[in-house]
Amino acid sequence: MGLQRLATTWALFQALLVEAMPFLLIGVAIATLARWVSPGGRWVRKLPSQPLLGPLSGAALGFALPACECGNVPVARRLLASGAPLGAALGFLFAAPVLNPIVLASTWAAFPNKPWLLLARPLGAVVVAVALATLLGQRSEALLLTPELLEERRLSQPLSQVSLLDRRSGLIGSQPPAPLPADVPVRRQPLAEVLGHGSAEFLGLALLLVFGCLVAALVQTVLPRSWLLAVGGAPTLSILSLMLLSLVVSVCSSVDAFLALGFAAQVTPGALLAFLLLGPVIDLKLIGLFGVLLRPRAILLTAAGAGLVVLLIGQWANLILL
Amino acid sequence: MRWRPSPNSGLKALSLGLWGVVLVQSGASGRLDLLLRAVFHPLVWISGGLLLVLAVLELGSGNEAPLPPRQRLGLFAGCLAALAVLLLPPEPSFAELAANRSQDFQPGPGLNFVVPPGQRSLTEWVRLLRSEPDPKLHQGDPVKISGFVLPVPGDRPQLARLLVRCCLVDAVPVGLPVLWPPDQPTPEADQWLAIEGVMENETVAGQNRSVVRARQVRPIPRPQRPLEP
Repeated sequence: MGLQRLATTWALFQALLVEAMPFLLIGVAIATLARWVSPGGRWVRKLPSQPLLGPLSGAALGFALPACECGNVPVARRLLASGAPLGAALGFLFAAPVLNPIVLASTWAAFPNKPWLLLARPLGAVVVAVALATLLGQRSEALLLTPELLEERRLSQPLSQVSLLDRRSGLIGSQPPAPLPADVPVRRQPLAEVLGHGSAEFLGLALLLVFGCLVAALVQTVLPRSWLLAVGGAPTLSILSLMLLSLVVSVCSSVDAFLALGFAAQVTPGALLAFLLLGPVIDLKLIGLFGVLLRPRAILLTAAGAGLVVLLIGQWANLILL
Repeated sequence: MRWRPSPNSGLKALSLGLWGVVLVQSGASGRLDLLLRAVFHPLVWISGGLLLVLAVLELGSGNEAPLPPRQRLGLFAGCLAALAVLLLPPEPSFAELAANRSQDFQPGPGLNFVVPPGQRSLTEWVRLLRSEPDPKLHQGDPVKISGFVLPVPGDRPQLARLLVRCCLVDAVPVGLPVLWPPDQPTPEADQWLAIEGVMENETVAGQNRSVVRARQVRPIPRPQRPLEP
């Protein structure tokens, strides 16, 4: 790699980092505020846990907690640590980066002449979130979540909800202890303590963000973008190439519609939709951040599942619109 | 009794402070103009300020709780990363970046071109030529533009600019072909130039296109805000 290319990669890395860090801070601030306002996180445990209603309720939270995909990782982590049903937390993680007012407004601003996109993007995001939550829900939480998060989550869950193997204590055949009554007051932590936790969380995530941005910048410099856009007219190839582009480019969901505007006329409608759906769920910059939530195999499963569902949605869009 | 921060809260405060300084210094030194569109700058400034406040609060907290070795290592690595960003400013090669991107820029709907030819920027010229591509319409119009030199394989170097929607990552190059003065050496890639000339026609591979005949070429420093919306 020549010096000029190295310098350009460094600048791309800094651009990604400086753009994403404020959004990460917003996400951590929301999670910290939620921890302080509702210390026990009782309300999140009341979210539905049914296979469909769970992810849908989590997705709807996006409207209340507008954060892009970097910012919603700490919020999803807080939901899981507070004992929210797995489906609801995953629904939030995967759908909220699209189902929030800022992203929908930017999509409308970028594509006022494509009203179908304003409907297809949120709908597609919900389908992807429900599918991924269902897919990941097939595995036990112990295989899905990182050990640190699982430990924290167990503290917020009634023992009756945790299997004996996951609890790692108790007597076979004995009744689990009764859950604590809902009206037991939970002590609110001092603000300084909550801020300390928030700062530590931000610093941990910032380091992972650095790693993700570095990988994304390196791949972008090495892989010519014109190659990815060269197959614009081919229905399936265009979807695949735009999915790859969304993984590589790693821009925030609040601005990706404006980026897509630049090549929207060269690609099929399904490819455009696939670009706007996959990037908010997973990209190179996010892979490090996901490491605080999911185990490596679960991240791979997420990437594969999201890729498959988005490819199918893109194909359907091409069938209808081409 | 003298106040001394504990080593753990000191390291945490240092890490928070360094990231805060990275963001604030990016704004103060003009780095942001090279990396991000201006509309996002306030967000970076505010975040940097907040991180500095958090660093001060952390210093004052006197938190004595021991940190696990892994977390301490993470904080140390974070400090190193922030220092690297702080000490190594971005110096991208626009030509290198543009060579990796296609010039398939699509003008958005509702654009008007009321600026007289001599006052149009390079970006405005490109937008106009995309919406009114007939070269005869623009023949003889005076041109006064600035941009960086972008080598084009199999063609003369163009004068180009980078359009950015959010940050440098989504930059799209737009360029104009130029007939460079024959008595001057071909300009080098990445060089910033101001050109005065006229718009002419030329036929390349059987197709007519507009081209700038440069009459006066002047090297200029890179503008403070080199990215265009």
